[in-house]
Amino acid sequence: MRYWHDFKPGESFITPSLTVTQEDILEFAAEFDPQPYHLDSRAANESIFGGLCASGWQVTALMMRLITDTLQEQSVATLGSSGVRQLRWKMPVFSGDTLSASLAVVASHPSAQPGLGELECRIQMRNQNGVPVLESTITLLVELHEIATRISGDVHG
Amino acid sequence: MDKVYIRSRWFEDIPVGEFHVFGSHTFSELEIVEFGKKYAPQLFHTDPQAALDTPYRGLVASGWHLTAIWMKLMVSYSYMERFANGVRDGRRNGAGMAIEDLVWHRPVRPGHTITFIYDIVEKPDRIVRDKWGIIRSRNEDYNQYNQLVMSFMIDILAERNPGSGAHSG
Repeated sequence: MRYWHDFKPGESFITPSLTVTQEDILEFAAEFDPQPYHLDSRAANESIFGGLCASGWQVTALMMRLITDTLQEQSVATLGSSGVRQLRWKMPVFSGDTLSASLAVVASHPSAQPGLGELECRIQMRNQNGVPVLESTITLLVELHEIATRISGDVHG
Repeated sequence: MDKVYIRSRWFEDIPVGEFHVFGSHTFSELEIVEFGKKYAPQLFHTDPQAALDTPYRGLVASGWHLTAIWMKLMVSYSYMERFANGVRDGRRNGAGMAIEDLVWHRPVRPGHTITFIYDIVEKPDRIVRDKWGIIRSRNEDYNQYNQLVMSFMIDILAERNPGSGAHSG
């Protein structure tokens, strides 16, 4: 496993990619964001987006999926994110788009939570044409060292 | 078919200082796990038993599940407001543009009920693509113990009233 102490600002990763289908967009929209431009192609064509596109909150969730998969692939002892300093939706995500992200550690601080450290990361998510769709600076929580993972004496992960 | 848009008021008619408690949601174990499996597959979001052995000491909702529920409640609140105001024309809301200072202050666990509040804090003096204004709100979300679980600022586009002399202020 890799812990907070193992990271220095400047380290960066490229995530795997994933493709967003029309079905994914409709399913998320029906549950969380039932607005015409996420549910209906004709309404979407007339909207500011110019076509059926994913909810911005689906894009942020997919960003988390890409980050989570990458950190697991790198065996990072992460407890997810504690916040987002800033985030911009740059371009709509349309059905069929393939997304991937770059993740760069820009700062490292101890956390107020015992046993944890914070890594501030710059994230840029791009579509298959290399066009940025989302940019953000998010804070990841990472365990300081191995002991923190064994709270009840069990090893996991 | 009627066109349905959720913004019930023009940009000009939305006042700074407006404050709404716009909904509550109780998070079930099942929905936390379903969301976690799709978007944040880590044990503390996907496996109630294994989550006990993580530093969270139990299942917790993904922070992005909270923001998705924020959106869901915002959409249904806006529809209600629209019907209450009898609005039938094509005014509409636009997209979210940016968020700032989003903090997940404490975990949300199965059975927790979160209440969502927004406060319109600013209408930046900027026109986007000729017809949109920006509404900046501060959002705070509390659990049933009145503890803050999430807060953030968001900029959302709202359509300007074409009849109000537009293109200024």
